Amino acid sequence: MNNVIFFLLLGLGIGSLYSMLGAGLVIVYRGSGVINFAQGAFAMYGVFTFDEAHRNGYIRLPWVDILPTSWLNIPVTIKLSDKGIPTLPAFAVAVAMAVLIGLAVHFFVFRPLRTAPPLGKVIGSLGVMLYLQGVAQLNFGGSGRQPGNILPDGVYKNFLGLGKAFPKGAVWAVVVALIIGVALHALFHLTRFGLATRAAAGNEKGAVLLGYSPQLLAALNWVIASVLATVAAIVVGPITGSLTPVGLSALVVASLGAALIGRLKSVMVAVWGGLALGAVQSLLGFWSSKDWFPTFLRSGVREVVPLVAICLVLFIRGKKLPIRGTVEERRLPLAPYPVRIKQHLIAWSIIVVSASFLFEGSGKRTVFALALTTSLVAAIIMLSMVVITGYVGQISLAQMSLAGAAAFIMARMMANGSTTTSNPFPVSGPGLPWPIAALIGVLAAIVVGVIVGLPAVRIRGVQLAVVTVAFAISLQSLYFENASLTGLSAGAPANVRSAHFFGIDLKSIGDKGLSDRPEFTIFVLVVLILCALLVANLRRNGTGRRFLAVRANERAAAAAGINVSRTKLLAFAISAGIAGIGGVVLGFKQNDVSSANFVYQASLAYLAFAYLGGITSINGAIVGGLLAPAGVIAVSSNYFFHGTNIDRYTTVFGGIGLIVTAVANPTGIAPSLQPLFQHFGRWLRKARSAEWLAAVRRLGPTAAIGAALGAGIWPLRVDSYSWFWMPLLGAVLAVFIRSSVMQSRAKRARPTARPVLAAAGQAPSAVEVK
Amino acid sequence: MALLRTIDLTVRYGGLAANADVNLEVNEGSLVGLIGPNGAGKTTFIDAITGFTSVSSGRVEFDGHDLAALSPDRRAHLGLSRTFQSLELFDDLTVRENLLVAAERPKWYSFALDLLRTGRTSKENIAQVDAALAVLGIEGISERLPSDLSHGQRKLVGVARALAARPKLLLLDEPAAGLDTAESQLLGGHLRGFVEGGTSVFLIDHDMGLVLNVCDYIYVLDFGEIIAHGTSAEIRKDPAVIAAYLGQSAGEAQARAGASLAANRDSAVPSTDALNGDSNG
Repeated sequence: MNNVIFFLLLGLGIGSLYSMLGAGLVIVYRGSGVINFAQGAFAMYGVFTFDEAHRNGYIRLPWVDILPTSWLNIPVTIKLSDKGIPTLPAFAVAVAMAVLIGLAVHFFVFRPLRTAPPLGKVIGSLGVMLYLQGVAQLNFGGSGRQPGNILPDGVYKNFLGLGKAFPKGAVWAVVVALIIGVALHALFHLTRFGLATRAAAGNEKGAVLLGYSPQLLAALNWVIASVLATVAAIVVGPITGSLTPVGLSALVVASLGAALIGRLKSVMVAVWGGLALGAVQSLLGFWSSKDWFPTFLRSGVREVVPLVAICLVLFIRGKKLPIRGTVEERRLPLAPYPVRIKQHLIAWSIIVVSASFLFEGSGKRTVFALALTTSLVAAIIMLSMVVITGYVGQISLAQMSLAGAAAFIMARMMANGSTTTSNPFPVSGPGLPWPIAALIGVLAAIVVGVIVGLPAVRIRGVQLAVVTVAFAISLQSLYFENASLTGLSAGAPANVRSAHFFGIDLKSIGDKGLSDRPEFTIFVLVVLILCALLVANLRRNGTGRRFLAVRANERAAAAAGINVSRTKLLAFAISAGIAGIGGVVLGFKQNDVSSANFVYQASLAYLAFAYLGGITSINGAIVGGLLAPAGVIAVSSNYFFHGTNIDRYTTVFGGIGLIVTAVANPTGIAPSLQPLFQHFGRWLRKARSAEWLAAVRRLGPTAAIGAALGAGIWPLRVDSYSWFWMPLLGAVLAVFIRSSVMQSRAKRARPTARPVLAAAGQAPSAVEVK
Repeated sequence: MALLRTIDLTVRYGGLAANADVNLEVNEGSLVGLIGPNGAGKTTFIDAITGFTSVSSGRVEFDGHDLAALSPDRRAHLGLSRTFQSLELFDDLTVRENLLVAAERPKWYSFALDLLRTGRTSKENIAQVDAALAVLGIEGISERLPSDLSHGQRKLVGVARALAARPKLLLLDEPAAGLDTAESQLLGGHLRGFVEGGTSVFLIDHDMGLVLNVCDYIYVLDFGEIIAHGTSAEIRKDPAVIAAYLGQSAGEAQARAGASLAANRDSAVPSTDALNGDSNG
């Protein structure tokens, strides 16, 4: 019994970190309606700033200088002293940095996003998280740090008569958390500022009419949240051990738990909730080392149980969570009716098939063959996001976990206790042939998908997103990383035998050990095409119409005779099936599956790139696949910009890209490219020599200027570059920018045109009511 | 026989009875109206019948079924179609697709067929949708998106969507709100057309002109209770209705309060009683 009390109390230390971050989440949600996935990243940047100033005397500003040169540089580092500065000034520097970040995040990201749909805001905060993570890795290094403890060191011997030594720091951490909680509670309930924020959360228009600026209030709330995160991490962070950029950013999950306990409404309840979460986690950690604890639950139970409890609470409470009264919320972009499917299919197939043969065994360029299959697999998984998020509007952040469920189960069904040269750990299993194993994997993914979808029956919007993250983490730590369930020893990946089809061997790796076999690329392409056709059929039939009806308006859908719950679950099942197919193909691609492929962060990244591509259309998924990590675009930019180490900036660029897309172009890249390609295609069909000549005359100068810039500017910034690719890239970019500008100008000239719709050809014969 | 019948239907929100013991019947092939001032509980009544709000006590019977345990979509399948006061169209679907959603009655295996077939819609559903579009005269806008339409056109699309399901009973929640007089009259003509086409109609509106002109039978709701019912001729003469509608009692009280205020101002003696409006009793 003493042990139980001791571990409960011990957990309050980390719990105070959850509670302060959770309080920050509540404040931001009330101030601007955003669930801030970047809250942990705020804490991370703040504590690293503190440590860097305290230890080395530098301030690292929250941006990077891409391509640093000897004479033209963006200032990134400010030197304060040679040896590091004392604790208090360093603390002040960190708080100032937090203020700067809070303001920047509000004005550059969430102010422009204030009327965006919930998904846009989620994407915006994911962008901020990725950006801060990437910048921190470049500025502070990705390795762990152990900042100095500013709380008293040492222990209380025989604390409260429990017979064990208790760290003093944990006691002080709890005290700080409670003081901050009470102070914030007072701020929001006793001051005019707090009253105005609460008023604006209740009714934004009303607050404006009373003379308050909701945007100013939101900015102040962002600053408070950012400073709070920084203070929390500086004060409490050191007692959690070594700090890394990624690890600290991941704190947001437990903090979301705390915020949800406070129903995203009450700071004080969130503070208590965070403390309780920490305590329960600590106790579960203690219990899981006991003999009586079920073995298969040992790994991950600490993380999972509290999250599952929160999901249950959310589910039972149903619709009662606060929905903030914002100015008119924009809906998700239109989901276009798929047209010219055959043409798309032929074009993509020709490109992919020829590329797969072109890059087979092509020396340095062989990397493109692997990038191509990576992109194709990513496109399959992103298609599953088009179904669930694009068509039905449910934000699922667990799609990679569903893919993982399929892949892991397939691998287990294939396993027969044998080993390979690369993987010497045998796993027992029924040793089924690949089609049956793959089918079982996909079916399992569907079952898991329906379970993940169950909360969607009663939970909506961003809350659902949080719940799906909880499921993703549960799957990850209870299954993928759980040796007693997977039968894998010590982090070894599970072996996947390659598929074969009527005598054609579909293994991904060729004789020379390179992943460049065209047969495999074509196999993945065929799977992608089949999935894309399924999704296209869905959109063109009654089921797709019902999906979109549910997305548009659940009440009206029910009135029209649609069973909303069943429709959502059906969508989750179909989407999980497609994600499962993606996971199975990923397994074939890698010849093995490991938990690292299916961490919950992977789902976030994939959703982000799917959104970049265009979450509501099939082409969007394909463009998203091209953009995916290690996909065609990432690999080719590394290839062409070789020597600039551009891959170091992938996370930063990814973050910026997400923010810009969410703010400026929420429909994504694919839908905005489509008219451009259409125009070009039409032109190409009727172009004769005269047209070509005219085009050269019209675009030639632009291209020449671009090429000159490409040839001229790059040598200034880069050591090694290509005389061929840089001018070409410059020319293409210049022409692209020119045509985009011309197009947007043309669009502004005739604002009623609606090019994406199938009905575009229809004469607009308005029938007025007489 | 009665198609829809409510028996002592009561809906309470906390302590407030939005509908109290409402007894009402809609016969097959008739056009029944429910009128009442703002806040009388009209929309609550439709919500209770269609399953969008829970009934505190009493029963709803439709076409021989007790609706108590049925979800809104089950009720729609029984032939109970409704429109919404606020325009609740599916903004991502064209007008035709909006109607198709209501017209289609998927089987449990429909999704599997939908995954495998290219866009295909049954002839019957197309006929249903075309008929609904034709009845309201909006064939010309069938391929457009709701966001491109005028308010009046969207209202008509809402009615057409409810009609596309071939309901036995069509429940219209303030279809004339926001329409001008001419549009409202046109709508009235359409409603008679529906009844002649075999669909019973239950109309809620506070536009007296529309309701009194087209309805066979009228119920009047005030503060959640039925205060009168009868044919339009009877309703026109009913003193309770006139009181509720013109707000006779309230109007008189205001008039008295105004008079006493004026009187007080003349005598330059401020009186708080006068502000309460009951000093002159």
